[in-house]
Amino acid sequence: MECIRQDQLSELFQGVADIFAEKMDELCAMDAAMGDGDLGITMKKGFAALPKLISECHEENNIGKTLMKTGMKMASTVPSTMGTLMASGIMEGGKAVGAASVIGPKELCAFLTGFAAGIQKRGKCNPGDRTVYDAVSEAAKKAEQVYNENISMKDIMEAAVLGAYQGVEATKNMKPKFGKAAVFSDKAIGVADQGAVAGKYLMEGLLRFFNK
Amino acid sequence: MNLENGHIRKKLNFSFAFSDVSREIIMKNHNRVKVRIMKKIINVPENYTDDMLSGIYAAHADKVKYVNDDLRCYCIAQKKPGKVAIITGGGTGHLPLFLGYVGENMLDGCAVGSVFQSPSSEQIYNIAKEVEAGAGVLFLYGNYTGDIMNFDMAAEMLEMDGFQTRSIVGADDVLSNKDKKARRGVAGIFFMYKCAGAKAALMGNLDEVLAAASKARDNTRTVGFALTPCIIPELGHSNFTLGENEMAFGMGIHGEPGVWNGPIKTADELAKDAVNEILEDMPVSSGEEVCLLINGLGATSLEELYILSGSVSRLLKDRGIKIYRTFVGEFATSMEMAGASVTICRIADEEMKQLIDMPVHTPFYTQV
Repeated sequence: MECIRQDQLSELFQGVADIFAEKMDELCAMDAAMGDGDLGITMKKGFAALPKLISECHEENNIGKTLMKTGMKMASTVPSTMGTLMASGIMEGGKAVGAASVIGPKELCAFLTGFAAGIQKRGKCNPGDRTVYDAVSEAAKKAEQVYNENISMKDIMEAAVLGAYQGVEATKNMKPKFGKAAVFSDKAIGVADQGAVAGKYLMEGLLRFFNK
Repeated sequence: MNLENGHIRKKLNFSFAFSDVSREIIMKNHNRVKVRIMKKIINVPENYTDDMLSGIYAAHADKVKYVNDDLRCYCIAQKKPGKVAIITGGGTGHLPLFLGYVGENMLDGCAVGSVFQSPSSEQIYNIAKEVEAGAGVLFLYGNYTGDIMNFDMAAEMLEMDGFQTRSIVGADDVLSNKDKKARRGVAGIFFMYKCAGAKAALMGNLDEVLAAASKARDNTRTVGFALTPCIIPELGHSNFTLGENEMAFGMGIHGEPGVWNGPIKTADELAKDAVNEILEDMPVSSGEEVCLLINGLGATSLEELYILSGSVSRLLKDRGIKIYRTFVGEFATSMEMAGASVTICRIADEEMKQLIDMPVHTPFYTQV
């Protein structure tokens, strides 16, 4: 069965670091229109730090705990609300993976589901609130839907990306409730939520590992 | 532009904050809205928090220390084995809140954030690891979103490490929200600290200490008001202005807007308004006992606080409410904000009385 070894964990998240470096300006521009303009910076800074933090927080044969500790350190790196939500996602994703020494299809699904759950728990948001959760919860849902004993991790990730795309599309019809965007509620219809778009890029970033 | 707590904050570079040139620029740009120019005894504004902490550690080295190399991980010098560890935290700018209550028979640790900002979850976690003494950890702090996120994260990490934790927030500011659970935590947290701290000192277990804190929280209400704003050092000027004869009733300890702005009322009038708001929210019957806490917000004289205290005492007496203890002073400030808050803590039972009565000693607060 294919799996990701613990020593490949940093590499798994490198794709996420790369994509947020590429998309920084785009996310900042989206965020500037309906927020305070720093979303791209937060995502770039937080996820750029992740591969190194994973090494620093290494717990032998315990990917779950490694990710939980990584998440907590990440929160100190980017202490804004979005940064804290991402870190919480990593922590809960790690908790869901548990004391595993490799990540297989089952653990990957668990991570995606945990990641979404962590954001919901910390952010106290629900589907339809027009947030990053709308993208990542759909991603997790699609991943769980396609999961079976024989599926490849690449296929799981592609389902997650598809789910995220659909989640982003759905936000175009939602009015913002949380955060700095909430005051721009009328401008929002027809435009995708920038947090959801960030969630989509995160899934795409993870997919890169499987496309190497 | 940042929208924080309803105020618009302009980020200005204040590395040259004290020059005449900069004062002119500030006055020119803000001549529509008069703002106070900062007059503080500090060094570089960015070092406000760490300079303050260095001073405290130097003055009280026998009583408190910091964890690893982080000044902002403040805790007691000696922990007591087998006792529930109580940890608080929050932004700088409210002394003696929060760190001032770390000491004998009160709290064991405090995570210190920058001015009006939350400490990080990692700092909270590190303190907890240091002061945990075999009986678990109670996180007890104010009801603010950032703090809750960070304390929750630290609690999750600790539980992963096999430690028991519980969490509870102070939410006593009546005028901040009709929903009890959504209220801001202000000076009334003092009673939660006293009750939880005493219960822990008496070697209560984690759930008993939590119960003591809950009982205090359920029986405490506060109403506050401000006369002049405070200034965040790195900003160099106040976020808003209060006119010469203007006050803000219900203002929070970070300058959060109150329920009304208007002409300055007399101490008797403010006492009447405060007592009415509190007792409407938490009825106290004739013959019942309460503790009264009159808190200065930082720039209000003790003389004024006692005038206010007298007014409140008379009103309670008129209603047949017995005042068991009165606390007057600075318990939860907002740097140099002028103003005060009135807290009434209903003594629910004999145990609560004993817990409030327990002598305590910290570098900032001593009760015999």
